[in-house]
Amino acid sequence: MTSLHDEHLVAGVDHAAFPTFDPAGTVRFYRDTLGFPVVHSICAAGWGAKDHPDFIHFFFDIGNEDRIAFFYYFGLEGPDLTQGAGDVYARFPEGTADWFVRSRHLALHVASSEELMEYRRRLDASDWPVEMQIQHETIESIYTHDPNGYMIEFTRALRPVEPQEDLDANLTIDALVEVVQQPHPTMDKLLVRKAELIVQRAEKWQEAQQAAVSDEVRR
Amino acid sequence: MSRLYLLDIPENEPILAVARTIAGAEVIEVGPYFAICSSDPISIDRRATGVRHAVWYSWVAGLSGWRISQWDKDALTVADR
Repeated sequence: MTSLHDEHLVAGVDHAAFPTFDPAGTVRFYRDTLGFPVVHSICAAGWGAKDHPDFIHFFFDIGNEDRIAFFYYFGLEGPDLTQGAGDVYARFPEGTADWFVRSRHLALHVASSEELMEYRRRLDASDWPVEMQIQHETIESIYTHDPNGYMIEFTRALRPVEPQEDLDANLTIDALVEVVQQPHPTMDKLLVRKAELIVQRAEKWQEAQQAAVSDEVRR
Repeated sequence: MSRLYLLDIPENEPILAVARTIAGAEVIEVGPYFAICSSDPISIDRRATGVRHAVWYSWVAGLSGWRISQWDKDALTVADR
């Protein structure tokens, strides 16, 4: 066993990659509209296999040294966008519910209302204006779709996450994993199981938190 | 006594305030959660809490003894199983 065995080691998103059939629009959206610097690109003449097209792999900085990346394949035809729903990578049959199509998206974090509204200003002056702005009790977000049909969100938290919310998330997930391994999972079954986990673990968690705070004070 | 659990976070305070006014119900602490306890099923009026939809549709953390018979824009109501 090394000193790394119990550590949470990763440090954010190196890159999240998507195909594009519209590299000019993609550059206009991410670099020229949003102001995300181009930070890396690869010009690759195929990649071994005979039928592999030449491609450009290009990257934009999305803050925190994380990156969003695209592949443009020369000569590859894009999908037919006149039918159905979705983006250039994932197409869904006509009539697929919006909430399902939109469930996969990329959300970028900003620190303040001023920063969120600055991105709103940049988007609204472009060909990709904000489609939705939502503020509820804990977050505020704006949404649009990039030239490839990928849904992009900018979001800010209205307050910091409290430690008990991490406990609650873990109880939810433990209950969910149990419930989905039984026939016919439902919200009712999850809430019943979660209540049992609250009884088993919530008071012990709070005692551990209080002990940790006391230790901190003693130091 | 059956129970509805909710997490101790600022957004849930208006719901707790309404729960504390329900005749026959008692609110207790279980670690960082509150439990609304009662022998009889209860109902909480959303408008009385003043909370908006994101909190309203996510505030229940656990169910013990009851099932939820109504959870819509008007109220959350539980019934015996």
